[in-house]
Amino acid sequence: VPGVDLLFPVTTVGSWARPPELVKALRGRQAGEIDESEFAKVADEAVLECLRYQDEAGVDIVTDGEQRRDNFYSFVTDKIDGMRLMRVSDLLDHVPDRARFEETLRALDVPAFAIKSPVAVARVAKRSDLAADEVRFLRQHTDKPIKVPLPGPYLLSRSAWFEELSQGAYPTQEDLTTDLVAILRDEIVALRDAGADFVQLDEPTLTQVVYGEESTETFMCAALGSRRDPSDEMEFAVRLVNETVDGIDGVHLGVHVCRGNWSRREDVLLEGNYGPLLPYLVQMNVDQLVLEMATPRAGEAEVFKEYGNEKEIGLGLINPRTDEIESVGSVVSRVEEFLQYFDADKIYLNPDCGFGTFAERCVNTPETSFEKLKVLSEAAQILRSNYGKETP
Amino acid sequence: MSDLNGLDVPVLDGFLNDLRQPDNLEGLSGPWRARVSWQGGFKAKAHMRTHTLELDEPAVLGTGDVAASAHELLLSAVASCMMVGFVLNATRRGVRVDDLEIAIEGTFAHIARWAGLDDSGNPGYGGITAKAYVRADADEATIQEIWKLAVDGSPVTQTVTHATPVTTELEIL
Repeated sequence: VPGVDLLFPVTTVGSWARPPELVKALRGRQAGEIDESEFAKVADEAVLECLRYQDEAGVDIVTDGEQRRDNFYSFVTDKIDGMRLMRVSDLLDHVPDRARFEETLRALDVPAFAIKSPVAVARVAKRSDLAADEVRFLRQHTDKPIKVPLPGPYLLSRSAWFEELSQGAYPTQEDLTTDLVAILRDEIVALRDAGADFVQLDEPTLTQVVYGEESTETFMCAALGSRRDPSDEMEFAVRLVNETVDGIDGVHLGVHVCRGNWSRREDVLLEGNYGPLLPYLVQMNVDQLVLEMATPRAGEAEVFKEYGNEKEIGLGLINPRTDEIESVGSVVSRVEEFLQYFDADKIYLNPDCGFGTFAERCVNTPETSFEKLKVLSEAAQILRSNYGKETP
Repeated sequence: MSDLNGLDVPVLDGFLNDLRQPDNLEGLSGPWRARVSWQGGFKAKAHMRTHTLELDEPAVLGTGDVAASAHELLLSAVASCMMVGFVLNATRRGVRVDDLEIAIEGTFAHIARWAGLDDSGNPGYGGITAKAYVRADADEATIQEIWKLAVDGSPVTQTVTHATPVTTELEIL
């Protein structure tokens, strides 16, 4: 990442708990009760607070905590014409197999009103910056490298194409992806030009593609029923990511893949190692894979043996969903496991996922999140002193 | 009109106040009625005041599964009644309800009796569990209090809870 000359840079995966006044403001903005400038006042404060936490915790590459977003992908509905933010409770009217959705809601222990998905209901076109405005604000307040998460092209196309609602504008999902890829390409360039150093494409549904058959499913793929063979889906995802980043330089690029971050209950989250995904992930033309490795659900490190050093790894080392603070020693040991397969300058330290993926169901408090980030920073210092301070 | 939670508050308040009059209370007490007519297979039509509802059974029973079944409607009725009570009590306290959803389920204690495989045991639900998800403009204690009032004061929930005797009669034509 430009501007980072240390080994083992510490960063986050993006989101941070929203303070109550911001949650209220997010609701108010969505309901049209407050205008953008009123919302911005509350959100700006929250971003600065989130930045302070990261600075004090010793984070090297900062984010704005996704404070302005309802969640990591639905926020685009405010920025893209033709998209409508729909609650699963509203989508149920358009789902043939409602019993399957009901099963999923019960497994996740969530109300249908709390999960929202962007759905393409007309031709999509970028109305405003998706996130470049976030970067411009953050850039005014930090000299540190900035990371920006963006919903990936596979996630967006899978969640936004909902046959009954989308086929008027886009007869097939493929038709929609062409427009979405163009929007994301345009945004990555805008982010770079606004001062972002690292753009992370979030593709959490890829684990659902691979493990979803036997496990609990999420609603991030609205078009659950139309899922194809996993290898076809993975190839499709690789193609979309590569089309999205093709020819773009001057900004570090990553893909984040996790197994769900909506609940503190480990038993409702997906489980399985990255083995089946890695052959595809390494074909994505990005610099870094941001992966969760902090819980037993993520499986063993050995699966990286034959893929070591093919990409940088943003190593998930702390569980964002627990109250317990991981020990510095355990983090150092985990990194050392990965040093068998990756050079020191290929490893970044981060939590498994965000601390507040969904604004209304954040998985941790700022105080605990801060303590957890401090552990990463302390571990990074030990690792730097053990493995050299400068990038070779 | 003063509107809260989609309700006309003065009308609601007026109606509730009028219930202090015994005649009005008796009128609200009932009888409440439904008339259910067979539509072939396991299909039925239920007529209630000016409303009609279709019912059926799952397709595995050899019917068309064109509508929800009676036992599912019972669950829905319990949850809906709790919901009415929640919104009623929230509105009376001036609490705005942003979202409310109730997930309810029940498992038959001994369905073999319904199927004719046994002549004893309880074919009905052995228990019903309901979980409400709510987002409302009030503190937690107030919301908990409203929920308790909703459950304890729910006519349908309490009918089920108190195992109300059902008197039946058959007339053969």
